[in-house]
Amino acid sequence: MAQQNSKDGGGLRGLVIGMVVFVVAVGAAFTVISNKSNSQAKTPSVVSKADGYGIVFNPTGSPTIEIWEDFQCPVCAQFESINHSYIESLARGKDVKVVYYPLSFLGPESVLAANAAGCAAEEGKFLEFHRSLYMNQPAENSGAINATWLQLLGAGAGLTSNKYINCVTKGSYYGWVKNVAANGAKNNINSTPTVKVNGKELDRATQYMDSAAFKKAITDAGA
Amino acid sequence: MKKFMELHGKAQPWLNLLGRLVLGIVLFLAGYLKAKAPAEAAMSVRAYEVLPIPVANILGYSLPWLEIGVGLLLIIGLAVKKSSILGGGLMFLFIVAIAQAWARGLSIDCGCFGSGGQVEPGQTKYLQEILRDAGLTAIAIYLFRYPHGKLALDKRPEIRA
Repeated sequence: MAQQNSKDGGGLRGLVIGMVVFVVAVGAAFTVISNKSNSQAKTPSVVSKADGYGIVFNPTGSPTIEIWEDFQCPVCAQFESINHSYIESLARGKDVKVVYYPLSFLGPESVLAANAAGCAAEEGKFLEFHRSLYMNQPAENSGAINATWLQLLGAGAGLTSNKYINCVTKGSYYGWVKNVAANGAKNNINSTPTVKVNGKELDRATQYMDSAAFKKAITDAGA
Repeated sequence: MKKFMELHGKAQPWLNLLGRLVLGIVLFLAGYLKAKAPAEAAMSVRAYEVLPIPVANILGYSLPWLEIGVGLLLIIGLAVKKSSILGGGLMFLFIVAIAQAWARGLSIDCGCFGSGGQVEPGQTKYLQEILRDAGLTAIAIYLFRYPHGKLALDKRPEIRA
């Protein structure tokens, strides 16, 4: 702009630069705001705000096991295939507090799946849905996870009510899914699955993919 | 040497275009892929374990847009001098960030094009990532020194006789 010959296009230059700066500023501001949690969002009734919007089993139990997963994450499916029976038995029991956080950082299909998990939780069938999804996990962002697929998956897990179907197709819990994600970000969850027992993360190298070591870590904590 | 300078004088506008396209497209693509997945971008920044969590999150959400903007300006050849300072500065920061992660023995992916975060200890690519960013920094320095080139909206100042 300091150039002397800028008359032939100085205005256009300024305008285009202005537009680019505007897009950058609006895009950045919008992204920051839309990733903040919104306490007004509709939330499944089994979700505890105090527990970072997680789906909670046995709220007064001890120890506390917290599990952050993304329904599209292949390592999560591997982790589940190794440990799901044990974790489910704890969640179905009365003594141990189990909190699931369905994250959605892998893409739009993770958001759809996490929303459907909320719908299933509302119907009291989260564990069935969760197990069924990991057993049938499609390739990441292949377009396989959509409302119809989630409806079929739900039917297989005993979710046949219109309420569930509406909830899936309308995306009733998108706001909640965002809140779970915002809370994961706040808690520095940088990898899925992440499992914490009484707030302490298990050792990724030894305790995740070995069912005996996993069980031992939890029983050692008092389960 | 004189001969080389003459040759370079001829090639320079095209080298400028090439450099702008390489650096611009890399920045634009990196920004676009991350802007599409902001949660993952924030995760990548957190995984460097340098910034306090809330700051890392905000940077993860906003940095991709800056990359998109700088990339666009370089591609169309507008405000090339300023954009190359920004682009080169970003690359330099990335090198520092990756190098400190390497030195501290973290195992992360740089998250440069999305999908960052922790990886298996044997899966890191720190050297490749640093070399790539060093190359891009060199391009930015060249563009700063020779900001004018072909197919650019920036006008070359008239040579006053």
